Amino acid sequence: MMDTIAQIQSDLAGITFDPSAWPSLRESRERAFQSHKTLGIPTLKDEEWKYTNLREIREDSYKIGQYVALQRDEVSSYLLEDLDPIRLVFVNGHFHLELSSSPSVPGLTFSTLANGVPSELGLLQKIEENTFAALNHATFADGAVVRIAKNTKIERPIMVLNMAVADVDRTVYCAPRTMIIAETGAEATIIESYASVGSRTTFTNAATEIFAGPNTRLEVVKIQGEGLQARHIANVEIKQQADSYLDHFNIAFGGAFTRNDINAFLDGSNISSRIDGVVVVGAEQHCDNHTRLDHAFPNCNSFEVYKHVLSGRSTTVFNGKIYVHQDAQKTDAKQTNQAILLSPEATMNSKPQLEIFADDVKCTHGATVGQLDSMPQFYLQSRGIPKDEAESLLIYAFAAEVLEKISHPGLRDLLEAKLFAKLAADREA
Amino acid sequence: MLHIKNLHARVEEKPILKGVDLTVNPGEVHAIMGPNGSGKSTLANIIAGRSDYEVTAGSIDFQGEDIVEMSPEERAQAGIFLAFQYPVEIPGVSNTYFLRAALNAIRKSRGEEELDSLKFLGLIKEKIKSLEFDAAMLNRSVNEGFSGGEKKRNEILQMAVLEPKLCVMDETDSGLDIDALRVVADGVNALRSSERGFLVITHYQRLLNYIVPDYVHVLMGGQIVKSGGKELALEMEERGYGWLEEAIGAGR
Repeated sequence: MMDTIAQIQSDLAGITFDPSAWPSLRESRERAFQSHKTLGIPTLKDEEWKYTNLREIREDSYKIGQYVALQRDEVSSYLLEDLDPIRLVFVNGHFHLELSSSPSVPGLTFSTLANGVPSELGLLQKIEENTFAALNHATFADGAVVRIAKNTKIERPIMVLNMAVADVDRTVYCAPRTMIIAETGAEATIIESYASVGSRTTFTNAATEIFAGPNTRLEVVKIQGEGLQARHIANVEIKQQADSYLDHFNIAFGGAFTRNDINAFLDGSNISSRIDGVVVVGAEQHCDNHTRLDHAFPNCNSFEVYKHVLSGRSTTVFNGKIYVHQDAQKTDAKQTNQAILLSPEATMNSKPQLEIFADDVKCTHGATVGQLDSMPQFYLQSRGIPKDEAESLLIYAFAAEVLEKISHPGLRDLLEAKLFAKLAADREA
Repeated sequence: MLHIKNLHARVEEKPILKGVDLTVNPGEVHAIMGPNGSGKSTLANIIAGRSDYEVTAGSIDFQGEDIVEMSPEERAQAGIFLAFQYPVEIPGVSNTYFLRAALNAIRKSRGEEELDSLKFLGLIKEKIKSLEFDAAMLNRSVNEGFSGGEKKRNEILQMAVLEPKLCVMDETDSGLDIDALRVVADGVNALRSSERGFLVITHYQRLLNYIVPDYVHVLMGGQIVKSGGKELALEMEERGYGWLEEAIGAGR
């Protein structure tokens, strides 16, 4: 039994474990918390955290996020009303009913963990090896459950909005948890959006589990749109079954500090996996994306494209691993990682990793880091377009190429507008 | 309209142009021929303002102004257009967007009203008809995945939309089969007018059967070594560049 303060205190000051919450999950939550304590907070010596310093997160002290009755006008720009989404809103990890809009849609269960914990919870998160996934499991207050029934196509976008609301004295901590379960033949576009309110730091420690059943077709768009003082760590675990198609988009514009781990396990044959990212950072922003694709069965393909635009003194990390297991013959995996550095003080750390244990596969990776090519620039200028405008256009086009793949037209337009605004803001800064 | 005087230029440390003199008046079509490495493309790119080339001496005067210090966009706004030998692919920028941005940048620089997308579409529809330009290409990214012929036709379309005063055409015939060449040449001929000058750069005489020049100049070793009427092109085609090289060598 855990009852003394020392036992329930995490390595992060102020974040404690409440053994009495979620009685039905008692065993796994205690195990997760123990694992988090054992693993501790990684340092730069840890290979997985070589370029991302957790010192500020480690040395800060926290206040566990409480429900805040945010008003519609405080968050209206994050609600994406133009897209008419089916929406759940969480504030500091707690469900916010008034801002949510979850009409009854045939074939869709869209609810909270408080309303019922799905049996799939925790099956994908690696609480034994990932200290933040473990901490999320031990500390989530509530979470979203998206379940799409067999052979159901949901036309409207499904959206989970997680708001972090800062407090005046200490950094607010919250642990959003999202479960996405698509049953055989299901189809949907799901938006996982993160935003923040207030000028002080917040720390969002998110965990998402995505179960893409056989023959499903999913588009999952994660938007990191938190404020420039926010800290954000997210562990996204995806399991794809046979004949499924999934495109994960990681749109990372916000946050002072962002670390995403996006892992997809291809657990069947004839799977198509797309892992895409657009990272636009400026000033002192830091964004680290670790991705891992596990090809475990034959005849699957994966295409990964990550694009980065860096200004100011920003830093980014791209660590992309493709692991081809021995049985995964006829794997076709392609990884592309590109960065444009608009400032001499910006830094991109790029680390592609291919580990291949099958002999009949096609695996490629390519990484480029640099400035804009001079020829397209000259071409545009030679047609009368001013240098600055030509540059903006080319940078936009570079990053927007990833967004063009989003099939939901309204969402694509919206993200293109956000991209345009973020590039302009970084330029002005 | 265009007066080039004693133009010397280099790329990196290598001198390419060694004293070029050339005048193009409105309504005239000048052809520049020459062997590979003679400086033809350098001349074209320098007129358009590409920064990889450095003018070390001489002047380029366009409509009474020295343009050597001008940026490429200022030259375009003044009415200079370069049809590229290798048109650049720009993924992610649609051809329509590009054309409208270019036209509006030029209009804006002249204090003219910018065209909204509706007006622009009306304009472009009219232009693509005469060029046998596939309308689907308007929505594709600029030159991306275009065939050689499509790329060159796209250059002519841009020329038709932007209506420059001086058109510099850098080996527009390269990579074109005879049908594509005819279409491109027809597009150029349709743009010939008494107010517009052309500088047509080519390695082969073939193009000049379709775009008939008023004057032909031979550029060799960074200098114009011979000038004449359109018949000079035929002579060059027949005799090659070798005899001229020898003749110049003997004269020196």
